[in-house]
Amino acid sequence: MDCSNSNSKNSRRYIMTNQELTYWVTLALMPKIWNRRKNEIYVKCFEHDPQISVIDLFEDKSCWDELLLTDEEKELFSAAYEQLPNNSFMVEDMLSQGYDILPIHCDEYPRILKKNLGKAAPTVIFTKGNKELLNEPSIAIVGSRNADKISLQFTDNVAKHVSASNGVVVSGFAKGVDRLALDSALDSGGKSIIVLPQGIMTFASGFRQYYKYIIQGHLLIMSSFAPKAPWSKEFAMARNPIIYGMASHIYVAQSDDKGGTWSGVIDGLRKNRTIYVRWPETGEKNANGQLIQKGAMPVDINGNIIKLDAENLKTEEQKEIEILNDKILKILSSVELCSSKDILIRLDIDWSDAKMKRFLETIPQVKKNKIKNRVYYSLKNGQSKNLTLNFE
Amino acid sequence: MTRIEAEKRLKTIFGIEHFYDEQWKAVDKILRGERILMIERTGFGKSLCYQFPATQFSGITVIFSPLIALMRDQVHSLNEKGISAAYINSEQSQENNTLVIEKALKGEIKILYIAPERQENQEWIEATKNMNLSMIVIDEAHTISTWGHDFRPAFRRIINLVKLLPQNLPVLATTATATKRVQKDIEKQIGGRLTTIRGNLSRKNLYLQVIKVNSENEKMIWLASNLKNLYGTGLIYTGTRVNTEVYAQWLQYCGIDAIDYNAGYDADTRKEVEKGLMENRWKCIVSTNALGMGIDKPDIRFVIHTQIPASPIHYYQEIGRAGRDGLPTRIILFFNENKDKEDGVPVDYSLPYSFIESSRPGIKKYERVTDLLKQEPLSEREIMKKANLKQNQIRVIKADLVDQGIIKEVQYGTKQKMYEYQYKANELDVSKFEELRKAKIKDLDAMVGYVYTDMPRMEYLCKFLDSDENSLYTNCDNTNMEKLKVEYDEGISTKLEAFRDSYFPKLKLADYKRESSIGLKIRMPYPNIIDVLRNNKVVGTYINKINYSEFSQNEGCVLSDLFDKYLHSASRLTDGYAASYYGVSNIGAALHRSKYEGGGDFPDFLLKKTLSVFGKKYKDIKFDLILYVPPTHSGDLVKNFAIKFANTIKVPISHSLIKTRETEEQKIFQNSYSKKDNVKDAFTIDSELVRGKTILLIDDIYDSGTTLKEIGKTLTKKGAEWIVPIVIAKTVGGTL
Repeated sequence: MDCSNSNSKNSRRYIMTNQELTYWVTLALMPKIWNRRKNEIYVKCFEHDPQISVIDLFEDKSCWDELLLTDEEKELFSAAYEQLPNNSFMVEDMLSQGYDILPIHCDEYPRILKKNLGKAAPTVIFTKGNKELLNEPSIAIVGSRNADKISLQFTDNVAKHVSASNGVVVSGFAKGVDRLALDSALDSGGKSIIVLPQGIMTFASGFRQYYKYIIQGHLLIMSSFAPKAPWSKEFAMARNPIIYGMASHIYVAQSDDKGGTWSGVIDGLRKNRTIYVRWPETGEKNANGQLIQKGAMPVDINGNIIKLDAENLKTEEQKEIEILNDKILKILSSVELCSSKDILIRLDIDWSDAKMKRFLETIPQVKKNKIKNRVYYSLKNGQSKNLTLNFE
Repeated sequence: MTRIEAEKRLKTIFGIEHFYDEQWKAVDKILRGERILMIERTGFGKSLCYQFPATQFSGITVIFSPLIALMRDQVHSLNEKGISAAYINSEQSQENNTLVIEKALKGEIKILYIAPERQENQEWIEATKNMNLSMIVIDEAHTISTWGHDFRPAFRRIINLVKLLPQNLPVLATTATATKRVQKDIEKQIGGRLTTIRGNLSRKNLYLQVIKVNSENEKMIWLASNLKNLYGTGLIYTGTRVNTEVYAQWLQYCGIDAIDYNAGYDADTRKEVEKGLMENRWKCIVSTNALGMGIDKPDIRFVIHTQIPASPIHYYQEIGRAGRDGLPTRIILFFNENKDKEDGVPVDYSLPYSFIESSRPGIKKYERVTDLLKQEPLSEREIMKKANLKQNQIRVIKADLVDQGIIKEVQYGTKQKMYEYQYKANELDVSKFEELRKAKIKDLDAMVGYVYTDMPRMEYLCKFLDSDENSLYTNCDNTNMEKLKVEYDEGISTKLEAFRDSYFPKLKLADYKRESSIGLKIRMPYPNIIDVLRNNKVVGTYINKINYSEFSQNEGCVLSDLFDKYLHSASRLTDGYAASYYGVSNIGAALHRSKYEGGGDFPDFLLKKTLSVFGKKYKDIKFDLILYVPPTHSGDLVKNFAIKFANTIKVPISHSLIKTRETEEQKIFQNSYSKKDNVKDAFTIDSELVRGKTILLIDDIYDSGTTLKEIGKTLTKKGAEWIVPIVIAKTVGGTL
């Protein structure tokens, strides 16, 4: 994907002309095609021998078949072609107002975004401010809009810490954690990137508010949406993966068990990204603990990694269940077969038979045996009492 | 499309049989989506090269042109041919511009002329999102080159736009005046696959002569005695706005039908004069070079320059407006060789030289602006106030800083434009200014070279434009024509003296009320005199009462309403007069000596001169009281002057017009906003003293008029009947 890559066919460093920007913006703004597909098409152009430029992609319709565009896509490209002159006016307006337009193949485009999002990365990003920040080590601090005091304290601590070590703080500019992360970083002389949930040309008040930081090179604003599109909920959701994508490390101040933060972290974990979650204090009503169980790295109020043993990781309920598990396995290891009622009697707990039966089903080491009409339980073959816990 | 096919259509649409070969070459390439630069002389038929293709394209053709007059002419003639054309510019009302944009969006316009400044207008930019664009034309393309003779900062954005346009969108750039250097610059800027078509620039029907003189008076004398003998109507170009007025007044004084025109006049006045030019309403129009560019008048029969232009290109361009019909046309240039005593430089060299020297503000002023913008984003007006700079200075500074990428103009919301300093901006590169300054001085020297050359004059100009032509140059005073000289004429000299004694600059100060929907306006320029204006043209002058029967019923009602409003709420300050211009006579020097060099009271000749204005202009007004503008800090110069004045004309004087607070000298404020703030509510006087009175208000120097207007307002509030201003000198240029 990266054009400056020296092992690509054209090892010569590629210099982009402004004219290409019109074509790139046209590609980026094309409706009804996913980013992933747009990027795929461009990769094909790039790998084609001889290389097909983004200009050729629009101007030379004869390459469309070779690129295996569908009929529908060909129609969409034809429609977009008509938009080229119009988009050149828009691009001129943007450049004259000091916005930068960064297509995915240019050197300034954040490498980390390509690494994290792959072909789903935005085809073009629009920015204003110090572009160098895009390729500096960065972290994002995420969390709910209505974060608790302690989460905000955590945010402030981490933002300052990162700033002190010259890192960039990526912020979604939402209320709460996002905004605080930004302000803490900037106030302590650090650097920040705002990832907007709106078109970049609709952010005048923000530009005015953060003017000094922008012209000092401490702040970059970026957006992947149509430059004049106003804020929308869809954009806010679509922006989250970009925040995660822009950060080498993600710190979670506070997450509910649903919503943007939660799904962002889950998604990140699935992609094997290291995500740091603030270790909740006892009694906190949030899903930080669950995220840690799911594999996130726990950190303390200052963002330092906590080395936890397995026991520390468990909730009270889980600990009770483990004890129960243990007891049941002990019982079963002492007998050959045992009914659920018998187990209940031996454990002396106030459960219904059905509940115990359901519970027994969840223990992997336990085997169900049907003898005539009755159900008995036993240990699976070869199971010792050396138990390991498997959270999955 | 074949040439035969194209010419068939050309005949149907434009009624023209054939293209010239060079025209067809351009049209053919344009129809194929290529980019063309055309350098062809005025009158060659460059516009057909885009107008014809425009009629063949499915979408709209946008022509960026700095020439409002050209837009008007061309749109008019295209519409007559049944081709839908329109223009968008600052001369047309906001509503009409919006209407044009709407039509363009609906695809109802084929050819749209637009001023380059519009590229900074959000309404236009928004509209471009949805227009079906087929072609872009850059008219007067030399203005996109900083080496061109009148580079326009607004064109910078057009250049950037052209660089961004898709490959196969046809682009045509046209100019009649480009040296090789400018040509290369344009080629570089437009880029892409560009073909340059360069034609012959020689204009054989222009008869070129130079008149060397030894004083300004000699120029005026020659014109007075010879203008009548020139065939047809034409233009006189002066170097300054003030001189357009002076020369026009002088010619009128001599009974020659002349009128003045300059860019300082409002749009309606300018339109009216341009219309009059087309109709040959006057023998000549005295103008700055703002007039005539782009005007499609075939028979301008003479162009006379009272001052040398900045370069041979300017000169070629300005004289090129004449004789488009190919008939003999007289072209005359005056040059005052008289050397200034101090620097030994010819007087007529000093003026254009000083324009070059003062074209850029000092570096400190650039720094003042960037320092401000490092703190916060600011609008032009805010910068002007905070940096205390003149608007024209701010504009130059802004353009340079934008050009060097140090600041950018950014849209804040839909209405406001702010300037932002850029991260990692370079230091201001002054060497560019110096390089440009040197180039301009070289050009000016080449213009003086034209005066003294013995080469055929057209050859000299074509050589300067790098136009290699194989032609025989004649028709000038270096070949077959007579060398003109000024003959001394006692009668005209005496007349000129009398003219100079009776010529007084006007101060336009009277308030007005207007009803913009029907373009009616009234003002009272003189006590009890009412002017009714329609679209800024005086259509009636009345004493005390408007004769409503001269108007339609509707207009009559509006006027009566306006008059009522006027009497109730307008300032009772009238227009006034100055005894002289500050910069063009010994009066300025005398004022300066008294005011700033401790030279004592104003000398008596100033009193005499000012009394003479009074005698000529105000002798029929009965004044009840004399007031004078109180000094800023100290000093009784104006007071003593006013006392002497009052003693002479025997009108009581009062010293009670005073300041309620300290103000600063107006001249330290460089723009009108700050000037207004400086004097707002700063004056007072006991109303008993002024109620119902007709007052003569005296001051020494008139610059922006802000102070006089403020005092006029105060005195009106206190019940004064009329306030009639008179000053010793009016500065030249003004600040806004």
